[in-house]
Amino acid sequence: MGRMKFLCDAERCIECNGCVTACKNEHEVPWGVNRRRVVTMNDGVPGERSISVACMHCSDAPCMAVCPTDCFYKTEDGVVLHDKDKCIGCGYCFYACPFGAPQFPNGPAAFGARGKMDKCTFCAGGPEETGSAAEYEKYGSNRLAEGKLPLCAEMCSTKALLAGDANVVADIFRERVLRRGTGAEVWGWDAAYGGGERKREREHKREGQS
Amino acid sequence: MTTHAMRAPRGGWLAALLLALMLWAAALPLQAAERPPGSTAADQAERQAERPLNNAPVWRAVRSGEEHFTTVRGPEAGVLIQSEGNTWRQLRNGPVTLYGGWLLILVPSAILLFWLIKGTMKLHGAKTGRLMKRFSGFERFVHWGTAITFLLLAVTGLAILFGKHVLLPIIGHDGLGLLLNAGKLVHNYVGPLFGIFVVLMFFAFLRDNVWRPIDAVWIRRAGGLLDGSHVPSGRFNFGEKTWFWFGVTFLGLTVAVSGLIMDFPNLGGWTRADMQTANIVHGIGAILMLALAFGHIYMGTLGAEGAYQAMKTGYVDETWAKEHHEQWYHDIKAGKSGHP
Repeated sequence: MGRMKFLCDAERCIECNGCVTACKNEHEVPWGVNRRRVVTMNDGVPGERSISVACMHCSDAPCMAVCPTDCFYKTEDGVVLHDKDKCIGCGYCFYACPFGAPQFPNGPAAFGARGKMDKCTFCAGGPEETGSAAEYEKYGSNRLAEGKLPLCAEMCSTKALLAGDANVVADIFRERVLRRGTGAEVWGWDAAYGGGERKREREHKREGQS
Repeated sequence: MTTHAMRAPRGGWLAALLLALMLWAAALPLQAAERPPGSTAADQAERQAERPLNNAPVWRAVRSGEEHFTTVRGPEAGVLIQSEGNTWRQLRNGPVTLYGGWLLILVPSAILLFWLIKGTMKLHGAKTGRLMKRFSGFERFVHWGTAITFLLLAVTGLAILFGKHVLLPIIGHDGLGLLLNAGKLVHNYVGPLFGIFVVLMFFAFLRDNVWRPIDAVWIRRAGGLLDGSHVPSGRFNFGEKTWFWFGVTFLGLTVAVSGLIMDFPNLGGWTRADMQTANIVHGIGAILMLALAFGHIYMGTLGAEGAYQAMKTGYVDETWAKEHHEQWYHDIKAGKSGHP
């Protein structure tokens, strides 16, 4: 039994929005709904960082806690899913979620007629029969059942977005952080944008000291 | 001379205190607007050069709840993490559900106990058979309009807050989903109608609910509820006036306005924080209103003989009028309008 997690490496994300597009295409998400989005801080200035965010499949999921119809459930992989047949579109999950993951096809509509909530399923479909047309129609494709990981992470061009078992993802990231900025493993924002110059400066200083 | 000398510095001291208070008040928004160090773009650029690979400011920005740049369109799409949702969750799932739930169990229980002990308040005298007009057709329309919409909203609202705890074990997930799908539609569409009725109610009964000296008598004798005695009052007694001002007007409008904020998220571009606040206000207001409504419904049906007939038909027996609203009875008998 795994514990599925997303992790976005802010040192690698280049705000290409490939994950957003991959997700929309894979699941044929309706207009106005984006299960994943990329947010950029300090856009256009040094120190700019982007992070891709979607449902984080929380251990203690707030959406689950506040849902009036209790339509959420957690799979044995730790993926938070919901049943659209029981969803009443009240928007409470949207109030509670820290990440802004719940989306509504009608948006903020009059009389609260938001429509059924839609969110990232970690490419794990929904309560309908696995691989059925009904499942695809409501929740998108079920890649997990086919032994594949979420497409957003699979298609990430810089491998900034990682998805999979929490322990494996954490190990990959830890390894990266340890090696980051040295030798052949050099990677990340600093290496790509002006890091080399600063590194040379540091080396000069070191030479001067010795 | 001495007093004058004494007064001058005292006045000066007061003025200084006031000035300090005003300055402090003026500084409040500034304080609130002050960002934590390292959160501005320039600060970050500087830090990036000084301490490469230290992303602490970035993670502070992630946590700040500010709107950042994103190409995705949607309400607050640029916010990475909003923390208020957790506060809302703790309040709604915690005290509002727990204490609200207990209040809605204890109040009807107390009323039931009261009824079992004291029984229905009967008329002391015999009915005369002569009827007096107490409510006009418009007044009854407004009353029943408010009452029916209120009950629909109360039932559906209770199901939204407590259904998960009370109904789910009985009717299951499918049943609750089906019920609340309809319930939410009813709640969202009947809500604005209730708001209109509350406003109509306010104007229809405003004149008769202004406090009068005679209300003091009612307060002193607790409305005769305990000893069953006659307490003279105008068209409405102090209990009814309290229900009018606090229950219908204050709580009714509170619930209606907070409800409209949640019902029309498209109108004001409310943020999640606005709707969370509205939801908590709505929940507390609605639970208090329902608790008071139990009292009002009891007095209008089981509690007092003839009260329900008054609102149903618009007419009361003269004995009823004399025993419950003596001043109003005398006014009508004297050929006045009955309004204060």
